[in-house]
Amino acid sequence: MTTAHDQHDLLARMSLDQCVKCTICETHCPVMAVTPKFPGPKFVGPQAERYRHGDSVDQSLDYCSSCGTCTLVCPQGVKIAEINSQARAVMKKNHMPIRDRIISRTTLLGKVMTPIAPIANWKLSLPPVRWFIEKLFGIHRHAPMPKAGSRTFSSWWKKHTPPTPTRGKVVFFHGCAGEFFEVETSIKTVEVLEFLGYEVVTPKQGCCGLALQSNGLFDSARTHVNKLAQQLNIEPGTPIIASAASCAGMLKHEAREILGMTDPTLTAVGTRVRDVCEFLLSLAESGDLPLDFQPINQTVAYHAPCQLKSQGMGLPALDVLRLIPGLTVIDSEATCCGIAGTYGLKKEKYAIAQAVGKPLFDKVIEVNPHLALCDTETCRWQIASSTGAEVHHPIWMIHQAYGLG
Amino acid sequence: MTDTIVIGAGLAGLTASIRLAESGQAVTLLSFGEGGLPLSQGTIDVLGYVENQPVRAPFTEMSGFIKAHPDHPYAFLSSTTISTAISWFTDQTAGLLQPSDETNHFVPTALGAMRPTYLVPPSMVFPDVPRFAVVGIQQIKDFSPGLIAENLTRTANIQTRPYWIDLPARPGEVDSSPVHYAQALDNPDFLSRFVDKIVATIGDEDAVLLPAILGLHTDAHSRLTEALQRPVVEVIMAPPSIPGIRLNNQLVKRAKEWGVRVVLGSKVTGFTATKDHITSVTLHQAGRDQTYSGDNVIYGGGGFESGALVVDSYGKVREALFDLPLAGADRLDLITGDYWKPQPLFEVGVIVDPSMRVVDPGKPKKPIYHNLYVVGGLLAGAQRWIEKSGDGIAIASAYQAAESILGGDRS
Repeated sequence: MTTAHDQHDLLARMSLDQCVKCTICETHCPVMAVTPKFPGPKFVGPQAERYRHGDSVDQSLDYCSSCGTCTLVCPQGVKIAEINSQARAVMKKNHMPIRDRIISRTTLLGKVMTPIAPIANWKLSLPPVRWFIEKLFGIHRHAPMPKAGSRTFSSWWKKHTPPTPTRGKVVFFHGCAGEFFEVETSIKTVEVLEFLGYEVVTPKQGCCGLALQSNGLFDSARTHVNKLAQQLNIEPGTPIIASAASCAGMLKHEAREILGMTDPTLTAVGTRVRDVCEFLLSLAESGDLPLDFQPINQTVAYHAPCQLKSQGMGLPALDVLRLIPGLTVIDSEATCCGIAGTYGLKKEKYAIAQAVGKPLFDKVIEVNPHLALCDTETCRWQIASSTGAEVHHPIWMIHQAYGLG
Repeated sequence: MTDTIVIGAGLAGLTASIRLAESGQAVTLLSFGEGGLPLSQGTIDVLGYVENQPVRAPFTEMSGFIKAHPDHPYAFLSSTTISTAISWFTDQTAGLLQPSDETNHFVPTALGAMRPTYLVPPSMVFPDVPRFAVVGIQQIKDFSPGLIAENLTRTANIQTRPYWIDLPARPGEVDSSPVHYAQALDNPDFLSRFVDKIVATIGDEDAVLLPAILGLHTDAHSRLTEALQRPVVEVIMAPPSIPGIRLNNQLVKRAKEWGVRVVLGSKVTGFTATKDHITSVTLHQAGRDQTYSGDNVIYGGGGFESGALVVDSYGKVREALFDLPLAGADRLDLITGDYWKPQPLFEVGVIVDPSMRVVDPGKPKKPIYHNLYVVGGLLAGAQRWIEKSGDGIAIASAYQAAESILGGDRS
């Protein structure tokens, strides 16, 4: 069997020589700030990597949450988070916890939970059940769990009658959470795109494998990415609009930079992927976005997820939301919510993840304890579960401001 | 939607962004990573040394300095512009830096040297008292009170006595980042334990020198001064620099308050231009390249340390983004054998007209692009490290570029 180190394209590893030990990554690492168990991205990343040669030299690496903040702020282009993710896959290869194999299969969870949604959601809300799950699998009893919807996005899509399009086509990429757990976000995204006049094409699609990747299950993650890239590779030249910012990031760059994938179909798809707010902002900039929004007289906090920030495109949701009259959007300015995909679910990391997210939770409660906005699913679940606020994708506001319901 | 694109989020880029945005411009700030301020000493230099002699009053010496260095960036600005820019900048720091009394401060470093610098935080002002306690913390490396005390006795002619205290910022951690101490000292409980340790350790010295770790978000310095009932001085340390981080945080906050759109984490890798006009710059984002357009571009990419200037293995120096013509690059002795001597390499850079637009050294009358302004570390003709002039060049050139753009807008 090939290891990640055999396969990855060495881009990340080669970047370690660019590290000048300036410490900027350390000052921004949200995990290092709250626990001495993680010695920080510089130490675990470019420094320890020199000693690895495909072996594991330092178990503290497991405490990296892969939020990617280090790579984002690095002024020298060191792929710190990518180096760490690759090294973790090697470290966990021969002793992957069963838990990590389960929680990384989002589609499977959705398929199991959706048909029995009320029972599944109820069971997962019971403390004894959660205690049992914690003991058996190591998923913390208080960690946020997705709530299955009673319908899938596909079942809505099949029954839905689109209006007559007045602009071109777009391909819609909802991701597996958008199929099973965040169905309303998927529906609202389609409705906004159709309101703007686009013909929305929605191919059958699976999971992007992000949770598999962040848990070090690289081979399975690559299989998922390849399959998804083929599914989305329709309507050449049209934008692929994503309502799941982290899954968009997987196709845009993480599959290449972390999994070392250079498949031409993936590259073709990756260059076409646009986060939905990124797409709307580009329309606004070219004068093609109707700005006759209905006012929304509210103040809300917006949190930009790490995996959106790591796409290096600024905060498009913030820019678009600020076009809505009456709406005051406060940037959370927080580094990370702590969940980092599945990190904050894990028994041994739950407290760290809560400490990481605390400044954000405080900010949300201070700005508006009832509603906050965030572009990715697991971050929304984390913020909601730790603040009690409803947390929506920014597209909900745009949907509302266009008077779509 | 963008009037001006600013490239680089260091001192120059942030200064230009804030100045333009507060004047009503829509600014997009593109930065590959975080700028260099968190690595800086957290004070602002204008002119620290001339001919190896420390400068007492930079603006008194400025006209003489400019006369002696006609190719220096300060010669393209003017003493008045530099002074106006520095005074405007002080206001942006919301009290982090205290207003100047027109003279340099001399502040201690972690090696025990007294370093000239112009604007300082109140926590670094060196009091005029005879006896100092220098207090190190065993869990913080690169701050050795014995070394500092001995050197300060030599360099500052004061009495010093070194002390150590033993107080982990976090239980069980033997080697903590200054950031962890600063965060810990933001907590009143830790602060009072810190005070107790110091009180139990030091003697009746008149003032206390501590590593620059006194709080990131709170004014731990004032509380400590009050608790110890004598002046407390923060000593500049190796990075990460808490005073530098405070300054960076404040400037980024100010920029965002004025509506500057910050795009962090992608590198500007190319541009499109007509004969003398930059039409767009290309940002290498995740997944693809994206163009950004604005009426003007301010380029504050820094010098060699950030890769805006590169040297190949033949000693050929190049500006990496726009391939701008460079001054001072065509000589064989770019690096001399003496470490302490000025290195001609560091004077290599871009030259500009008085509005900060790039010109060809051979044809200095006409800007190469009428909407491309270069500021900060890219400018040719300075030995920033030796002169201690880098911050002043960054602030004044950025301010001047912004004024040129705003002046153009107004006319």
